[in-house]
Amino acid sequence: MKNEMIRLENVSKIYTLGEIQVKALDNINLSICEQDYVSIMGPSGSGKTTLLDVMSTMMKPTFGKIFIEKKETTKMSNTELASFRGQKIGFIFQTFNLLPKLSALENVMVPMWVNNTTRSERITNAKNILESVGLGDKLQNRPNQMSGGQKQRVAIARALALNPNIIVADEPTGNLDSKSGKIVMDILNDLNKKDGKTLIIVTHDQSIGEKAKRKIVIKDGQILNGNTKVCQL
Amino acid sequence: MIYDLFNEAIKNLSRSGIKTYLTLLGIIIGIAAIVSLVSIGSGLGMAVEQQLDQLGGKTIFVIPGGFQNIRIKLNETDISNFESIRNVESVVPVYSTSAILEFNGEKINVSVNATDSGDKTLFENTGFFNVKEGRDFTRNESGSILLGSEIAENYFEKKIEIKKLVKINGKDFRVIGILKPLPQSFGGGPDPGNTVLMSLDAFKRISTNLNPTIIFINATDKESVPQVVDDIKDYSDKKYGDKSVNVLSSDNLLETINSLLDMITMFILSLAGISLIVGGIGIMNAMITSVLERTKEIGTLKALGASNNKILTLILIESALIGLIGGIIGILLGFGLAEVIAIIGTQSGFALIAVKSYEIIFGALAFSMIIGMVSGFYPASRAANLDPVEALRYE
Ligand SMILES: Nc1ncnc2c1ncn2[C@@H]1O[C@H](COP(=O)(O)OP(=O)(O)OP(=O)(O)O)[C@@H](O)[C@H]1O
Ligand SMILES: [Mg+2]
Repeated sequence: MKNEMIRLENVSKIYTLGEIQVKALDNINLSICEQDYVSIMGPSGSGKTTLLDVMSTMMKPTFGKIFIEKKETTKMSNTELASFRGQKIGFIFQTFNLLPKLSALENVMVPMWVNNTTRSERITNAKNILESVGLGDKLQNRPNQMSGGQKQRVAIARALALNPNIIVADEPTGNLDSKSGKIVMDILNDLNKKDGKTLIIVTHDQSIGEKAKRKIVIKDGQILNGNTKVCQL
Repeated sequence: MIYDLFNEAIKNLSRSGIKTYLTLLGIIIGIAAIVSLVSIGSGLGMAVEQQLDQLGGKTIFVIPGGFQNIRIKLNETDISNFESIRNVESVVPVYSTSAILEFNGEKINVSVNATDSGDKTLFENTGFFNVKEGRDFTRNESGSILLGSEIAENYFEKKIEIKKLVKINGKDFRVIGILKPLPQSFGGGPDPGNTVLMSLDAFKRISTNLNPTIIFINATDKESVPQVVDDIKDYSDKKYGDKSVNVLSSDNLLETINSLLDMITMFILSLAGISLIVGGIGIMNAMITSVLERTKEIGTLKALGASNNKILTLILIESALIGLIGGIIGILLGFGLAEVIAIIGTQSGFALIAVKSYEIIFGALAFSMIIGMVSGFYPASRAANLDPVEALRYE
């Protein structure tokens, strides 16, 4: 049995919009093991993004506890959480979220800049990672000088900059054509298979979801199936 | 680490688009407005004070009251009576009239000033005998004049040069020197750049009005000034009626001018205050908009592990840099503007100097940097305190 990577205990998330309250996550208990490859699927508005954001420390749950590598992130201060997030989790967004003024190389250097890595080391690392995702010839391109697929590969390279154990991706192919989407998914699959990263992907795409080792389906903020797994504590 | 932040900030700024330039423009306009106003405002009193200082505090001004035709007429008897007052060193009456200056067939009305005394140090001290070209006249020269440079250069179609003959009220005079203009008019008196100076003998050829418009009286020393002032007052009050003749020491004059200047300074300061507020709000608006627009970038940085402090420091450095750059350009522009205002003002007879002091420079820089940082800090800290997700969702 694999070690536990992420655990959610009785996690609920309630959005408040004025008078209206939306229960986006309803008392979720979930355990994700290391080197796992999890896909989260479900209808639109079911709470997939909310679940991913909450478990990846991007958002605090309204109730419940979250542990990552046995540390309770719901107890951490914002500063602790920021640096913890930077070290442990790499993020890939549907809309890439690259910094528009920076080149591909500089975008990949940002997490290392945040982490106070020396400049020369940043450049060498960033170059290597960009080459590994097939963008060795696009180092100086700004985001607006690249295709969607290339931008998403830069984002993957950036997510890998600090060599985190967990990679989370919310609809990583949502804005891409099928060919670019396949290139991106191949890279992500390899990260799990070859490098043993824990990979969590939210997707609408059945064929992508099917490739995961573990498929979680969520509806109305509750996990319908795929929640039987138990990891070693 | 700080160096790194600086680097990052400079990189961000240097690649910024039109919006940063607009932010910068907002700051430049605000600072330029403040600097030009403060520069002109603080220059207002300076020149007048400097000139009065040159008189050494020994000089008393006797100015007959009234205007034009109903002006009190002092005469030669009064002058010799003034001369005999205890502790009076010298008496320098100045006679004035307006006259027609003719050159090359053109006729123009000018003001003519004349003095009787061989002792022209008083005049010289106030800059009246600051001969730019040519030479000064001697006491009994009745056919020579000094011409203000403005008149010589600009009044007539052709420049009047030294040694040229001109007619004043139909009488021939030779121009023997050109007077430098004062940077501003002395206590509201005639500007030597705009006047014709001559000896009393010469004056008698063109005017019968031999009642001085002002008399400079030099006391033997500073200490006896109050006594001389009192004696002159006693004399003229008795002869012409209470306060019909104004007797002012240079200290009095300074006080009068200063109280007037104080009012003007207050006015300028309130203008500067308004421009500070308007400029400050402009800077704030520009900064806040530009930082708010970067909320999404801040969200990205947070997702990548940047702490609030790091993000805030980065934005503060950027804001300060924008403030600094905008401040520098604004100061240059403001000084330029003040210079232009001073030149226009001086030409139209107002005593204006554009002061360029370190106080203004540092004050303006500190102001633009601090306002920039404060107004950058507010939206940045708001954005930095959001959950990364919320910041990322910002459009
Ligand atoms: N910031 C928010 N404020 C209020 N309600 C929200 C907010 N974000 C999401 N919701 C609501 O919470 C529920 C879950 O939203 P979520 O974005 O997690 O769904 P999703 O499964 O990711 O949907 P999609 O497939 O369309 O991306 C929805 O009903 C949504 O309207
Ligand atoms: Mg979603």
